[in-house]
This record gives sequence, C-alpha cells and structure tokens, in this order.
Amino acid sequence: MRFPTPTLPKLGVGVAYQAPLAPLLAAAGPELDYVEVVPDILWTDLGRAAEPRYLDDRAGRRALEHAAAARPIVAHGIGLSIGSAGMFDTAHVDQVERWRRRLGFAWHSDHLAFHLAEHGDGSMNVGITLPLPRDRETVELLVPRIREVRQRVPVPFLLENNVYHFDIPECEMDEPTFLNRLCRESGCGLVLDLHNVYTNARNHGFDAAAMLAEMELEHVGEIHVAGGMELDGFYLDAHSDTIPDPVWALLEWILPRCPNVGGVTFELFGSWFESVGNARIRADLRRLRALWAAVLRPARRPAPRAVELA
Amino acid sequence: MTALAFQTALARLIVEPDFRDAVRGEGASALPGPLTALEASRLVTIAHDRGLDMNRTLHKGFRLGKLRALLPLTCKLLMPSRLAGEVAAFWHDNPPASFSFLPEALEFCAFLEGRPLRSIYLAEVLAYERAVLELERARVGPAPPQSVRFRHDPVRLLGALAAGWRPRAVPARPCLLLGSKDGDAPVRWTLVDAVSPSGRYDRRHGASECGAKGSTA
Repeated sequence: MRFPTPTLPKLGVGVAYQAPLAPLLAAAGPELDYVEVVPDILWTDLGRAAEPRYLDDRAGRRALEHAAAARPIVAHGIGLSIGSAGMFDTAHVDQVERWRRRLGFAWHSDHLAFHLAEHGDGSMNVGITLPLPRDRETVELLVPRIREVRQRVPVPFLLENNVYHFDIPECEMDEPTFLNRLCRESGCGLVLDLHNVYTNARNHGFDAAAMLAEMELEHVGEIHVAGGMELDGFYLDAHSDTIPDPVWALLEWILPRCPNVGGVTFELFGSWFESVGNARIRADLRRLRALWAAVLRPARRPAPRAVELA
Repeated sequence: MTALAFQTALARLIVEPDFRDAVRGEGASALPGPLTALEASRLVTIAHDRGLDMNRTLHKGFRLGKLRALLPLTCKLLMPSRLAGEVAAFWHDNPPASFSFLPEALEFCAFLEGRPLRSIYLAEVLAYERAVLELERARVGPAPPQSVRFRHDPVRLLGALAAGWRPRAVPARPCLLLGSKDGDAPVRWTLVDAVSPSGRYDRRHGASECGAKGSTA
C-alpha cells in the first residue's frame, strides 16, 4: 500500500534552537522564518513508573517562546528511539502531541535510528543514534509504529536519515531504496539531512550526489544543513561550523527538486556559537533565504548544476 | 526476537570495551544469543570496524559532558587524569540508563563517596553539588531544603572552583550551608557559622545570605 506524501506548509528557513543561540535569534530579521526545537528539552521525564511521568519546564518554554519571537515552531525530537526492537514508547508520542497543541508545531520529526536497547532488566541509553539494518524486517518493524505516531500526532511526521560511522554489513537494501520504501509504505516524510549524507559520503567513500539522485524527493519535507569537523581520521557531523561548500552544492541541486519541502533548517551546537560568530551564521541564513526565495519563484529558478564533492 | 538481542549486543560493543575486545578476540562465540548467523556475522565485522571506536569516543564524550555539566566543581577538583579513572571505574559497573543523566550524576556522587580519594575538599564539594542537584531537579511539589556541612570556608572553596582555579590552603571555617528553592526562583543559600568549640551553629550571629544559584555559592 502506498501512502500519500504529507503536505507541509512552506515555512522557509529555520534555525535549530539552542539556548546559547538566543542572541542570533534576537538579531535575526527576515532571513529567519521559523525555529526548530528539540521538544524533549521542554519537559523532564521522571521515568515510566513515575506518576506524573512528565514535568513541564516552564522556564524553558518561556525562553523558547521569547527567542522564537512569534515565528512558527517545528519539533525535531531525539527521544523516541523508533528503531528500538524491544520498545515503542507511545507515552512519549502523546507527550509530543500535548506540546504540539501548546506550541502549534506545523510538523514534527525524529531520527531514523535507535539509541535505547534492552540491558538486563532495564534499558541502556547509548546517547548517540545507531544505525538500523536496511532490511525488510526493519521496514516491517517501523511501518506500524510510524502509523501509530501519525494517528496520535495529527501533523506530518518526518524521519531523519542517519549519520553512521560504521555501516551494517550485508544489508538487503541500499540507503535510497530503504528510505524510499519506508516513506511509501508508512506515509512518513523525510528530514533529508544533507550534512549527514555528506559526512557518510566522506567517511565511507561514496558519491553523495549519486545517492541523492536515487531518492524519491517528493518525500522530503525538510532539509537540514550544518558544518562539521575532522577527528581521528573521520569527518564528524559536529554542528560546529557554517555550511561547507560541498553541502551548499548538494542543497542548490536538490532544493528545486523537492516539491513538498516545507523548510531548510540550519543546525549549530550552542557551544560553537561564539567561535563561529553571529556574522558568519547570519550570512549563511541570508544565502539560504535567497536560495529558498529563488526556488519558490519558478520563473527565476536556478538551473541545476552538477555537484562536486571536495 | 533476535533483533532485540542484536541491538543489545551492538550497544554493548560501544559501551563495554571488555565485551568489544572479547568479540574481537573470540568472534561469534563471545556473543550472547539468540542471534541469527547473519546478525552474529554483522556484529563480528562491526567489532573490528574503526567506526565503532569513533562511536565509543562520541558516546563517552556525550556521557562525560553530562557529568561535567551537572557536577562541574567536583569534576574540576578531580582534575582530568583522576576524573578519567574514576569515571571509567564507575561506568564499568553502571551502564547508561537515563536520558536526562541526572540520576547518573547522583549515582556518581554516591560512588565517589565510597572511594578512597586524597582531596581534603572533595567530600564537601561533592555534598554541595549533590544538594544543588536535589534542589534543582524537576519534581512534584517543593524541593526539600538541603543542609551541607563544611569544614573549610565554602565561599573561598566553591568560589575558587567556580572561577576555574584549584583551591589551595582554604582556611578552616566550620559551618553549614542551608539551601532552599521556591518554585522557579533561583536557589538561595544561607551560611550559618558554627560556634566553637562546641560545634553548635549560630543562626543569629553567624548567618549570611548567599543569593547565588547553582555552583557559585
């Protein structure tokens, strides 16, 4: 069964909210259209046995609303661990829905990965997103869960392609085939993280542009861009810098080809804000906004050009 | 449910270096079941992948970062080399369980309290930061007041650590720090000096208000 592609509002250019970025958001003008928030920071989870389980962070909500300054807010979660084989936490999904009603998320998303695993009588939180086997069995695990999320939270739901430092050997599908099939069969959209694609391409030696060319881009609801750094022979999705040229090239090629994309979000960890600097970040936001505006004006759409990775 | 066992083993390869080394050395025989032959083969291959070590680096960085954020003065006092050893010993017996990591920080406090540590200041700093966590942690209802007994001047001791210095020759000052928190307001600390030589504490004459929040008493 093929589900229709979710329809998202055309929001424009956003920034992933972190408290240290408040000065950036306060200074931003029309180059910033929306703010993306990790909803998990808005509450404290006291554990499944606790009643009540979730306590709201009122101060955190006030800080977010002040920083967003009436701009739309979308949610990008980190706590669902939708790929965990032994657990699917519908209470967490319901908590996202409670906050959607409060803040009016236009859409919400999480990561196509797992970070919670069974361990003894409890669970283990690895704290980083781990890859899933790109097998039929994984699709069968995820599809009913995605449908459950879509029923419980009545706005489009997107999953983000993962960054991985080791790949699962002997998968049944390559990444584009896996993502295409998952979106078709579940009705979820995709947060296409171009910096993740670029990072994986550098670390595993494949052609990012060729991979993107195999994807069904009508599923892309949001695009993530960021900068990274080298460590011990790996390139890391560290969210530590402005957008590198090869990621710009990927974005300029793909954005006009994503008919249902609702926004492009720039990600930077708050601890890097001072060293990167407000001016460089705002320059990237203005460039993103100009690209977004050009793509929304079909008559002036830039001609797609070949993509070359550095 | 072999996928469940596969994910547990994959997570353990990152979190438990002893387990990773066993899989590297002994192959599939070191893997607990039930696993399919393909899953076992995948795990053995991953155990030898350089990317696994990078994931372990990121995992440790994430976990240590949480401890540094929640116990900044204790981590500063321990110095990097001692901190690394203590954290490794703690993590060996305590897999990461919580997403917020506040319970882990409290467990690390309890772990350190049972360790033979040479710093003459550690018990006081540890007790203070544990009290801060208890006051600032999310809970239903008001936070219970906290009382921390000091043998050294807490203003000098905690002030030095908060400023990024190692405390040296902090003068003796037997006293109590009394902490309380009202709703969303910052933590308030009251310093109550002891009346020597009996060791009783004098609220009337020795008390002073410290309006600082968190780690800067």
